[in-house]
Amino acid sequence: MTTARAMQVQKRRQGRRGDALFALLLVLPGFLWFSIFNIYPAVYAFWISFHKWAILGESEWVGLQNYLRIFSDPIILIALRNTAVYALATIIGQIAIGFVLAVLVNQKLPFMKFFRLVYYFPVISSWVVVSLIFIFLFNSEGLVNFILVDFLHIMAEPKAWLTDPATALVAICILGIWKGAGWVMVIYHAAMQGISSSVTEAAEVDGASPWQVSWFIVFPMLKPTTLFITIMLTIGAFQSFIQFYIMTGGGPNNQTEVFLSYMFTQAFKYLDFGYGSAIAFSLAVLVVSISLIQQRFFKEGA
Amino acid sequence: MNAPVRTLILGSLLLAGVASAKTTVTFWHTYNTDSTENKILTSKIIPDFEKKNPDIDVVAQQIPYTEFRQKMLTSVAGETGPDLARIDIIWTPEFAQLGALEKVDDMPGFKGLKSQVFPGPLSTNVYDGGYYGVPLDTNTQVLIWNPEMLKAAGISKPPTTMAQFKTTLEKLQKKDGNKITQYGFAVPGPYNWFLLPWIWSNGGEITDPKVTKATGYLNSPKTVAAVQTLVDWYKAGLISPSIAGSGLGSWEGMGAGKYAGSQDGPWAFPSLQAQYPKLSVTHSPFPSGAGGSVSVVGGENIVLFKSSKNKAAAWKFLRYLLSKDAQITMATTGQIPVLKSLVNDPYIKGHPYYGVYLKQLSKAKARPPHPAYTKMEDLIQGQFQEIFSGKKTVQAALDEAAQKVDAVLK
Repeated sequence: MTTARAMQVQKRRQGRRGDALFALLLVLPGFLWFSIFNIYPAVYAFWISFHKWAILGESEWVGLQNYLRIFSDPIILIALRNTAVYALATIIGQIAIGFVLAVLVNQKLPFMKFFRLVYYFPVISSWVVVSLIFIFLFNSEGLVNFILVDFLHIMAEPKAWLTDPATALVAICILGIWKGAGWVMVIYHAAMQGISSSVTEAAEVDGASPWQVSWFIVFPMLKPTTLFITIMLTIGAFQSFIQFYIMTGGGPNNQTEVFLSYMFTQAFKYLDFGYGSAIAFSLAVLVVSISLIQQRFFKEGA
Repeated sequence: MNAPVRTLILGSLLLAGVASAKTTVTFWHTYNTDSTENKILTSKIIPDFEKKNPDIDVVAQQIPYTEFRQKMLTSVAGETGPDLARIDIIWTPEFAQLGALEKVDDMPGFKGLKSQVFPGPLSTNVYDGGYYGVPLDTNTQVLIWNPEMLKAAGISKPPTTMAQFKTTLEKLQKKDGNKITQYGFAVPGPYNWFLLPWIWSNGGEITDPKVTKATGYLNSPKTVAAVQTLVDWYKAGLISPSIAGSGLGSWEGMGAGKYAGSQDGPWAFPSLQAQYPKLSVTHSPFPSGAGGSVSVVGGENIVLFKSSKNKAAAWKFLRYLLSKDAQITMATTGQIPVLKSLVNDPYIKGHPYYGVYLKQLSKAKARPPHPAYTKMEDLIQGQFQEIFSGKKTVQAALDEAAQKVDAVLK
């Protein structure tokens, strides 16, 4: 009897080991792919960031010089300001609009599936395409000016939105909110399915209006979802590139530069790969720090 | 591009045991696919060359201009570049400095070529005392006018002096109350390429002749006055908002009959004709100011890569592209030839607008040849944008630009 039991245990162990090996085999291709195309280039870029990098020939080791240069570069401050403005404006805008849309499409009415699809459409469209479309919308002869000047008479003169840094930033923020609100809506909508109807019904019996229910009951209950969305959108905002690169190219005179557009200019336009890599790594450190702070902040409030 | 097909045929020939000793030469270029340039290159120029040189196979690859510099850099870094490339003249010193290009001073027949081409375009190939390329085509900008709009305003011919230019603009301006409905002229944007002719024609400068400093040149009284003139015209509504990067683009505005004139290179005419078949245009040189009538030299050089394994064959193709036949063939697609001897060729003489461009080319300057030109250009254009958006005075902006350019030139 005992020997039989021992054998069973033995078998199970072998089985476990076999399972582990098999699991490793399954993970291996993906891990190799990730190592070759993500980890290796990242490590190599870290190496580059300590050099005055030459495309051909010898590169010169300069230690922390590239990192020190970041602190004395006025355009880095502009990029920081623009990134912060873009992050704040788009995160608040996307969460507000996304939540309202989620409440709307959560109703038991006909056509809700269709509306969900319509609101989600900007999310799946290409950044490049929508950036180009927004250039046309905000052109001084474009639709936005036509509506504001000729139709609503809010402005007397058409405005060259994209040639003035402040209004260009407004236009890019509007694009960011329009493009991302659908994603926020989908996440909130999915989370709402997990809220028991007894809670909301109890509130309604007590005489709360639908909006009061949404705002005072549903929204606080979805706090973990809001944390997740905020962290994801923050990372996304700090990594924004295409909309800035296409709509203004960081111009006029670097006034609408963000971290990645400036990194791109330094590395691929001025061929200063050492400095570009240093900017990229400083940005990574910044994004991780902000994500950690956000988690702390939400936990304390919980 | 039937390179894959060609490779297949080549491969099958090899498999069939037929020893093929063909050398493949890869040629990267930015010939425009919308115009006939690329078509003529692949259907006429390359086949003609291959007929004359059966042992060489030329594989041409078209890359959009905006991606070209990046792609070159990536390939240079990975040493996977082409044998030959047609590149913008302003990139030549930069790639030479990177060590990507082959010095051509001692290539067979280079001395002969040197004496046959225009000196202006040739000078853009010099880096560190050697030649790193050969001019392939050249261009410049001239003024482009809508003759019907001139006639309607009672102007018999395009202006030839700065003073005349201003009165022409005044005559051409049309207003509807406070709103300007027609502009006499459109400077296409706040960029060096478009503003340099105005700066030079008014006696201004960007750097010293040796390209070692900008202070005292870029912010000199003459340069400031030249830019100030443009600002005044823009503020008075004599030139369109396109100079500040807003409003209709210069081609759209001419097509819509809102701009009576603009400035552009020889590629503008075929594109304008294709987009706006009803529009008729005439060309005229830049109006002369204190510095004369001076435009800016554009164009492309053809360069040989250091990493090329087939330099001899590549050089042969380069020399063919600079032959009279090839230059005239490409001239039919809007590429102005670089051979001095072709100025009197019947085709060039009978051409509707090459005459004006060639005349302007005899009074056109190259942008400062320097490996860091891309960065200089950004610094200067950044300040131009500040000027035309009304954020800075011309003097303050150009002082700052000069100081920043000096730091790059150090």
